[in-house]
Amino acid sequence: MTPTHESEKPRIGVFVCYCGSNIAATVDVEKVAEYAATLPNVVFTQTNKYTCSDPGQEEIRKAIIEHKLNRVVIAACSPRMHEVTWRRLLQGTGLNPYLLQVANIREHVSWVHQDRGEATQKAKELVAAAVERVPLHEPLEPRQVKIAPSTLIVGGGIAGIQAALDIANAGYHVYLVEKQPSIGGNMAKLDKTFPTLDCAMCILAPKMVDAGRHENITLFSYSEVESVEGHVGQFRVRIKRKPRYVKEDVCTGCGLCTQACVLKDRILSEFEMGMGKRGAAYIPFPQAVPLKAVIDPEHCLLLTRGKCSMKCIKACGPGAIDFKQQEEFIEIEVGTIILATGFELYDMSALPQYGYGRYDNVVDGLQFERLCNASGPTEGRIVTKDGRVPEAIAFLHCIGSRDENTNPYCSQLCCMHTLKLAHLAREKTPARIYEFYIDLRAGGKGYEEFYKRVQHEGIHFIRGKGSEVVQDGDKLIVRAEDTLLGKVVEVPVDMVVLALGMVPPKDIENIARIFNINRSRDGFFMEAHPKLRPAETNVEGVFLAGACQGPKDIPATVAHASAAAAQALSLMSRGQATIEPIIAEVIAEKCSACGECIVACPFKAIRMDEEARHAYVVSAMCKGCGTCAAACPSKAIKMAHFTDQQLIAEIEGILGRMSEYELA
Amino acid sequence: MSLPESNVQQPPYEPKIIGFLCNWCSYAGADLAGTSRLSYPPNIRIVRVQCSGRVSPELVLKAFHEGADGVIVLGCHIGDCHYIDGNHRTSKRIPMLRQLLAYAGIEPDRLRLEWVSAAEGERFATIVKEFTETVRALGPIKQVMVTG
Amino acid sequence: MDEEHMLEAVRQKILEIMPQVDGVIALRRVGKGTAPHLFLPGDDLSELALFPQFPLPTPVRIIQAKYPDKRFAVVVRGCDERQLVEMAKRQQIFLDKLTMIGVACTKEQAEYCRCEMPFPKQVDVGETVEGIPQTFLDEFLAKPREERLAFWKHAFAKCIKCYGCRNICPECFCKECVLEDNLWVTSGTVPPPFPMFHLIRAMHTVGKCVACGECERTCPADIPLTILYKLLKRDVETVFNYYAGANPEEPPLMDSTIFLADMDMLHPPRR
Repeated sequence: MTPTHESEKPRIGVFVCYCGSNIAATVDVEKVAEYAATLPNVVFTQTNKYTCSDPGQEEIRKAIIEHKLNRVVIAACSPRMHEVTWRRLLQGTGLNPYLLQVANIREHVSWVHQDRGEATQKAKELVAAAVERVPLHEPLEPRQVKIAPSTLIVGGGIAGIQAALDIANAGYHVYLVEKQPSIGGNMAKLDKTFPTLDCAMCILAPKMVDAGRHENITLFSYSEVESVEGHVGQFRVRIKRKPRYVKEDVCTGCGLCTQACVLKDRILSEFEMGMGKRGAAYIPFPQAVPLKAVIDPEHCLLLTRGKCSMKCIKACGPGAIDFKQQEEFIEIEVGTIILATGFELYDMSALPQYGYGRYDNVVDGLQFERLCNASGPTEGRIVTKDGRVPEAIAFLHCIGSRDENTNPYCSQLCCMHTLKLAHLAREKTPARIYEFYIDLRAGGKGYEEFYKRVQHEGIHFIRGKGSEVVQDGDKLIVRAEDTLLGKVVEVPVDMVVLALGMVPPKDIENIARIFNINRSRDGFFMEAHPKLRPAETNVEGVFLAGACQGPKDIPATVAHASAAAAQALSLMSRGQATIEPIIAEVIAEKCSACGECIVACPFKAIRMDEEARHAYVVSAMCKGCGTCAAACPSKAIKMAHFTDQQLIAEIEGILGRMSEYELA
Repeated sequence: MSLPESNVQQPPYEPKIIGFLCNWCSYAGADLAGTSRLSYPPNIRIVRVQCSGRVSPELVLKAFHEGADGVIVLGCHIGDCHYIDGNHRTSKRIPMLRQLLAYAGIEPDRLRLEWVSAAEGERFATIVKEFTETVRALGPIKQVMVTG
Repeated sequence: MDEEHMLEAVRQKILEIMPQVDGVIALRRVGKGTAPHLFLPGDDLSELALFPQFPLPTPVRIIQAKYPDKRFAVVVRGCDERQLVEMAKRQQIFLDKLTMIGVACTKEQAEYCRCEMPFPKQVDVGETVEGIPQTFLDEFLAKPREERLAFWKHAFAKCIKCYGCRNICPECFCKECVLEDNLWVTSGTVPPPFPMFHLIRAMHTVGKCVACGECERTCPADIPLTILYKLLKRDVETVFNYYAGANPEEPPLMDSTIFLADMDMLHPPRR
């Protein structure tokens, strides 16, 4: 790149855009250009029909070279639209791309004001502001950082597994961290998947095994991420491995300890959603990966009371059980991170009227899945808690979704999920089946067809949200207003299945804090752009996969996970990333080490040099918000491209240099 | 430089308003007002900042000092900040500055803080309309400075 | 307890502490006044003084910066202690190397300073007296806005830009001060252009000022600065529940953990 003429006197070119008639209809573009020509340092002005078009850009390019322009002002549409385009244009001519200022005279002027005089005057002022500001612009150089060829994936559900396999198969290393003793997540709990009715475990288990055995995947099950430092390309991650009290490298997964455990079948199983039981020594489910036993420290008699006959130790042939195990901390460095922390079901404590947790036969969708599943607690028989085959089952849609008092959003997949459960119930029982719905949403490949199919299976659809469940003898009465009939109905059933909304996991706030990720209003992680960057976050190098970004069904989750993997891969295959140079810098001589900037920084990007007694910015972590610059009492922080001088010049350009107010 | 302002004949008072808008939410919201062709008074001049957290009290005071009759700071809603919680600082600084203005005898309503998301073009236009009328009713800042 | 008894009690306390520290920062009588002094072990304490008071946090900062490995004690009043806490939060002084000898101010002293809290957290000497109600703040607020504006215009017009308010303030430890930067405050004009100088300084006191009142007592033009600063301080306390200097463990006000999500609170009704 040829050097810019920063030391020279500013030679500003002002280009005013007609944008067809978009600007010209309300702003007298020629007048604005004429006015601009009278402003200091402006050596060239031009109007263009379309400044963003190829011919428009060519005009600017020619003018920059011919008139030796060293600063450019473009009065056109919003800088959010084409600033990047024009920066590239400047770069092409050898001018530093940041020596540009865009005056927004379309979105902020011509499209919102009708009076031609007023609009033209405002356009002039905005151009004047840009002309005042642009001489103070400094050339900025994008920075390069190296990307380590490895990825941390947090969460071992289908999203994490898919992303891990995509990346590992491409030849990059993956550290897969799962907080449960086994990967598999919520999908592993499902019986069948809609709309094709594939057996969930049959399609998931091979992937789990692949992930567990892959030479490029290091699996940390029963582990959590403690902290993350660093930035894109070089994240330093500290992982906490919880003690299993079973040596993973020795355990063969034979299960003899689980049989021997004194507490066998006495503890509610998490995997069975509380519908089945396990011991204190247990293997979460037969297809678990890693297939290793784990001892639950909250229940194990030895660990809680210090006294037990320790039959597990005697039962274990290879001697894998080790009650001396401690928490372990492992540090790794990775180039990219994918969060795949999934979802939880809506916490029903706020909706006691449905009797969930109070009545035995009010269950959620996942619990019902376990009842349907052949390896579940009832071996696939759908029965009530006391073992009766239900005569009637009610499915209640939208519990904890689409409700201003709980979650305003639609959890998207519960309609289909519930239809599938109704279908399974129809297959397995002679029960009358009711679906209480607000409206049914079946958008997706093959979904509407599946809905049609279920409609023809003799299921009663009642258009009305179930409002209450009460017990009456051994029946449960579901109350709802049938909005098609316009009257309240009370339907006695033996079992109620609640389609609970999907919500972010309880610890999502903590995860968000560890990774410095935003959350959207629904509480899920926020993507960088809702349409165009759905798998990226605002932290460079950190990506999102699956339901941690918002409710998703399996196909959407897998697609999202692969998208996240592709993003991470493209970054790693490039080997380096460019970081926006709009960042803060501490002017050490002015800094008095008060640390106001450090507490102000949302990204922990400012540190204190205790020796030299001044703060400094870790530039690769700085996102350029400028909060530190506002916080600094000495104004010892220079926020590149948004310096105090530049902003003041802009303000002065707008307001003109009015005389200072003298005190009366 | 100076703008063509007549010293001979005082034009009727038109409030000059500086708007500090964060790039990610509020500036985009203002753009959306444009795209949606929502009309609002032309008095506001928008200065783009990356985050509302960039707006120091000094900058706001400087804008008043340079002759702004009103200053409005717009940022992302709490929780939606592109910079996680940059706007939390704004939510402390600007209200405190409003208090200070009041104590110093300057109408605090010349300074306003609101949250406008990228999807709230209409809200942006409404706020600007309201604020322009508020500042119009308060009169020129110069008048505040020279009376008394 | 009268002044002489208090002085004697402080002297005893210093003698008690001296073996554990490298020096004690306190006031020493100089002519009719006092000056900050570093008493070393074995020094004669006959010139030790308590009044007229002078803020000791700045001398502590300077001495600690010069002798970072030494341990000192300092005689503090309530305001000194709170200032030291805020300064510690900003890395200007180091509490782990500082022992405080807390002195409760007398009733006369509290009245003289119009002090709301004339005692430190830990009182070693003196009896605590109640704080002075800040009724003058409400009296000031009862004035119509125009009157308040006139009041300040009159007051600030007297400013000769001596920077005394800033220089005496222990919380003003910046190496470079924006009040001297032509970008923010036009140089070479007296009085400084309103509202830049005084309102910038007022904003800089937010979350730090403990209302010791030294700025106002120092001001040669008698500008009643503490009215502004104390009003802001009261807001910080009532709105953000942040009490400057109360708790060294608490992060500074601008830390993200304290914020206002409720827009109604952003527009308090005070005009």
